[in-house]
Amino acid sequence: MTDIQTHSTQLASTDFQQPKFSLNYQQRRWLGYIIRYIIAAILIVFAFVPVVWVVSASFNPSGSLVSVEVIPKNPGLGNYCGLFENDYYPFVKWIRNSFIVATASTLLSVTSTAVSAYGLSRFRFYGRKVLMRAILVISIFPAALSIIALYTTFQQVGNHVGILGLNSHVSLILIYSSGALSINVFLVKGYLDSIPLEIEESALVDGATHAQIFRMITLPLAKPILITISVLTFMAIYGDFVLPRVLLQSSDKFTVMVGLYLFQSADYAQNWGVFTAGAVIAALPILVIYMLLQRYIIGGLTAGAVKL
Amino acid sequence: MNIKNAFPVTPSTILRLALVGVFDIAVLSLIRQLLDDGNYPLSAILGVVIVIITLCYSLEKLRYYRWLGVSIAAATLFVLYPILYTIYLSTTNAGYGHILTKHEAVEFLERQQYVPESGQQYTWTAYRSLETSDDYLLWLQAEDDTTYLTGIGTATKPASIGADGVGAADDKGIPLTIQGYQRLEKRDTVAIIDQLGEIAFGVAPDIIRITGLSAAATTQQRYRYDSDSDTLTDAETGLVYHPVEGVFETDDGQELPPGFRVGVGLHNFERFFASSALRGPLVRIISWNFAYAILSVFFGFALGLFIAVLFDTLPGKEIIRALLIIPYPIPALVSILIWRNLLNPDFGALVSLQESIFGTAPNWLTDPMWTRIAIIIINMWLSYPYFYIVSSGALQAIPTDMLDAAAVDGANAWQRFVKIILPLLLKIVSPLLVASFAFNFNNFNLIYIFNQGNPPIAGSPIPAGHTDILISFVYRLAFNSAISDYGLGASISIVLFLFVAAITWGQFRYTRVMEDQNA
Repeated sequence: MTDIQTHSTQLASTDFQQPKFSLNYQQRRWLGYIIRYIIAAILIVFAFVPVVWVVSASFNPSGSLVSVEVIPKNPGLGNYCGLFENDYYPFVKWIRNSFIVATASTLLSVTSTAVSAYGLSRFRFYGRKVLMRAILVISIFPAALSIIALYTTFQQVGNHVGILGLNSHVSLILIYSSGALSINVFLVKGYLDSIPLEIEESALVDGATHAQIFRMITLPLAKPILITISVLTFMAIYGDFVLPRVLLQSSDKFTVMVGLYLFQSADYAQNWGVFTAGAVIAALPILVIYMLLQRYIIGGLTAGAVKL
Repeated sequence: MNIKNAFPVTPSTILRLALVGVFDIAVLSLIRQLLDDGNYPLSAILGVVIVIITLCYSLEKLRYYRWLGVSIAAATLFVLYPILYTIYLSTTNAGYGHILTKHEAVEFLERQQYVPESGQQYTWTAYRSLETSDDYLLWLQAEDDTTYLTGIGTATKPASIGADGVGAADDKGIPLTIQGYQRLEKRDTVAIIDQLGEIAFGVAPDIIRITGLSAAATTQQRYRYDSDSDTLTDAETGLVYHPVEGVFETDDGQELPPGFRVGVGLHNFERFFASSALRGPLVRIISWNFAYAILSVFFGFALGLFIAVLFDTLPGKEIIRALLIIPYPIPALVSILIWRNLLNPDFGALVSLQESIFGTAPNWLTDPMWTRIAIIIINMWLSYPYFYIVSSGALQAIPTDMLDAAAVDGANAWQRFVKIILPLLLKIVSPLLVASFAFNFNNFNLIYIFNQGNPPIAGSPIPAGHTDILISFVYRLAFNSAISDYGLGASISIVLFLFVAAITWGQFRYTRVMEDQNA
């Protein structure tokens, strides 16, 4: 109660209330700050417990048994070396697979989202409203719900065309990029709607085709929203678990999320330290991307982009 | 929009039509193979995809659809079809022992061979073609010492030394050479015996197969399917099999694997809604599913909002914000695995901390109650940064003059929060809360990665766990048990589809995503 009171003292530009405590205004303000800093400290501890623990354990050479100590007695890179030298668990390959799948899917998906959004934003044609409604309807169902159908379908196709079957990155990429006709189309379309048409119209008068206008005028103007959906798509695919878990079958095809999961459930106690090193490495790419492109992500979230 | 000539024939038009042609041919050949399997649903949807692509990219009238054609086709194939196929699967008995279509099962059974009593027995010697490595001849010696030569797809003929390119014999009367072929010694054939065993030599009905390291025999097709009477006859035993509920069965109940998929109508839904054996576990799963989704959204949003409001005006809030947002950019799977390790009863760091403070610690992975609490806490940790970002965005949208006016009228801070800030904020973020509820309702990752839905519910006829939600139960049904019950799994998926659809339909009525700003 006290903290909310003091908070709102700040929110309101003037405060006509009679003081209820024997403290004066200044003292109450400072008390409020102190209480809020204490709460902030507690919350930061809550937020950081797993992070600090995993980073500290990853540098702790005593691999199999983890104590509660925050700074290991003789830190070393042994766990990281163990990670990269493990033949049975090809960690580097997993990271590479994740990057291949997430990058290819993001490129395909964002390209087709942008092209579709341009079509919906710039042209009026028969069936357009129906199509938009259809996109909304089919995009609400998470892929995890059709996992049985996806599995059996790819199994059947794989009997004839191996690369479109189970245990194939191509299959995974196709599923991910087919999700392009989703709520993201409406985000991009909304953005394109807000770009003035005058430049494009004058380009048309000068004889440019729509394909040229799209490439040379619209795409550069839509860069912010395209970056936003690219980052969010990449993060979602990189972190996805259930699809690659079901579709990929051999260790050398795994994405890093599937690999890390199986790694920790298979050799639980023995590989403790190596697992923590793996967790740190697996999380790093997304952390870096987040730090570099933070403003796009937060802008996208408040605009209602889907967070998977 | 500019109007061009009616039929512009430009290089790009030709290229486009050529690509459409190549695509159509490739997909048509896949359709042909799928039709051979009896896979009609997938063939049909691929046909639809061909029509979409061909029309969109060849008709001038549909030129605007060129911007959308590929996406529409891809969504039809990989989003719409799986949903439709799930509906289909939900009405079948698909699953362990019933994976194949009936067509595929019949084909498999018709490939089975047997050695009839009248069948001729031989000893064989193999010869490999000098040109292609997968062409073989067999030199056959019958029990009455007559000799024959047979090849793949060529009729078995009597043969003798010195005739038809057959070279000189060794001391056992077996030719050393045959024109165009090279003799394989026994030690060489051992390595490829499996491969040789697959080969049907001669022509039907007198197929000769290798039955042992030196024995071969005339074999006959064991099962024959008669499509008129829909029966399968065993030529060896004379038994007649009828298809009964997805498996061929004799009248006295002998079954002939493999089984196949058949429609069972609404039986799977009946099991879901009315089976008394499943009711206990299902009621638990569904009520926990709702509790999980509601509590996750509630606590995540409450903490996020609390942080947004509390630190809104605090000096140094940028640093606090940057620190508190840390759970967001860590991939959820990594975070969940770390939490799982922290709470491991044997060596989890948090458990030993609790033990050293309280002398005892709850069992976070095997006690149903504490596992659920752990899941809610972890989900709060995972989701509050999102709600924090969203809430502080929404707080900026609340006009401060309203708050000032309320303060002038004597409302205290709590009243201002409850009566002004909260209602306005809820109005802004409620679509996100609904979306978050729908997301968490099917949040498979947390449930499965933290504890795979465990601890198990004792006495459940189908394996189920105390922290299973419907989607993780579906996964268990399909991929994680010996049952592989795709049918029941698919029917639960359909129920989930309908649930998500209902929630989202309600939500769309309040959003303006369909608006055209330049219309």
